[in-house]
Amino acid sequence: MKTCFFHVFAILTLLAGISPASADPDLQISEPWIREAPPTARVLAGYLTLLNTGDSTITVTAISSPDFEGAEIHRTVIEDGVARMLPVNQLEIPVSGQLTLEPGGLHLMLFDPRRPLAEGGSATLTIHRSNGSNLTTTAPVIRKTGEDHPHHHH
Amino acid sequence: MSTDNKPSGFKRVLTAIIVVALATAAGIWAARAVLEHKSVPDELEATRFPAAREILPFSLIDHNNAVFDNNALGQRWSFVFFGYTHCPDVCPTTLSVLNSVAHKLGDLEEDIRFVFVSVDPERDTPAQLAQFVSYFNSDFIGVTGTPENIDQLTRQLGVMHLRVETENGASGYLVDHTASVFLFDPDGRYHAVFSPPLSADAITDNFRKMLQAYQ
Repeated sequence: MKTCFFHVFAILTLLAGISPASADPDLQISEPWIREAPPTARVLAGYLTLLNTGDSTITVTAISSPDFEGAEIHRTVIEDGVARMLPVNQLEIPVSGQLTLEPGGLHLMLFDPRRPLAEGGSATLTIHRSNGSNLTTTAPVIRKTGEDHPHHHH
Repeated sequence: MSTDNKPSGFKRVLTAIIVVALATAAGIWAARAVLEHKSVPDELEATRFPAAREILPFSLIDHNNAVFDNNALGQRWSFVFFGYTHCPDVCPTTLSVLNSVAHKLGDLEEDIRFVFVSVDPERDTPAQLAQFVSYFNSDFIGVTGTPENIDQLTRQLGVMHLRVETENGASGYLVDHTASVFLFDPDGRYHAVFSPPLSADAITDNFRKMLQAYQ
């Protein structure tokens, strides 16, 4: 049912992931995406997976975007049924490990888009490492409202 | 070797056989327990109350500025979620799940009501809610009211909400809030609660069972 969409989605995001604007020999980004926001929202959520292919722990100190006024890494924590959002100062990705930012967990808070962002569009995300290097990727904006995806990609 | 060792030797062998048999049985039992445990889905079942709970009077307004009170919860089953329209992760995720539930339950004869109650009335005007809920499903109902009136409902359900200031001034503030989905029966009584992590399949399956039990 959703398989087709996810295949297309996986391919699209894979393409986005393997053709970054800048490269890092130790850090790979896969499946970056931004949730299309309802018309009322000024904060969007971004998600991606970070893979450490190097031989030492990678520390990500920030993720920024020129397409938004601000960006913060947050974690949704659910305790006793209550959802709380906690700011996360840095991310650590162990050797051969990966870290996924996904709905209901770690996520990127993208504040006040500088231009309208709807499905079909994309935004630039820059991952800042503690060693001073940056890695840039393009994240597609995806509409996710719980319906089967209405569009067909060919 | 003396002959009187024979019975004790036999006993030893018998004991060994029994021990092995017991160990095997225990192993099979343990393995089965583990396998059975693994076959249980990770998704949480709904918490259903032995008897549905009456809801004390409350009065709010919906996204069309109509009164939304105890009577508005009658006639149909209602799934109710509390959140706020500026919520970037949990609320859109949950409304997507509920929209999925709405589609999965599309085969039912009866209409199901889906309600999003704001715990951020300062920013969530009826107009704001109208845009927000209809983004997910044009049949969803957005509800807001004064903080006092909202708490008439949240207190009865044990729904927590707490305003949290953020460092990023432009974004305003966040609201920590209960992320469970509450189910009301067609008599407007509190019937069950689904706790996160929520899944459309689990909610749908649970609801169908509850519907059968109810009829």
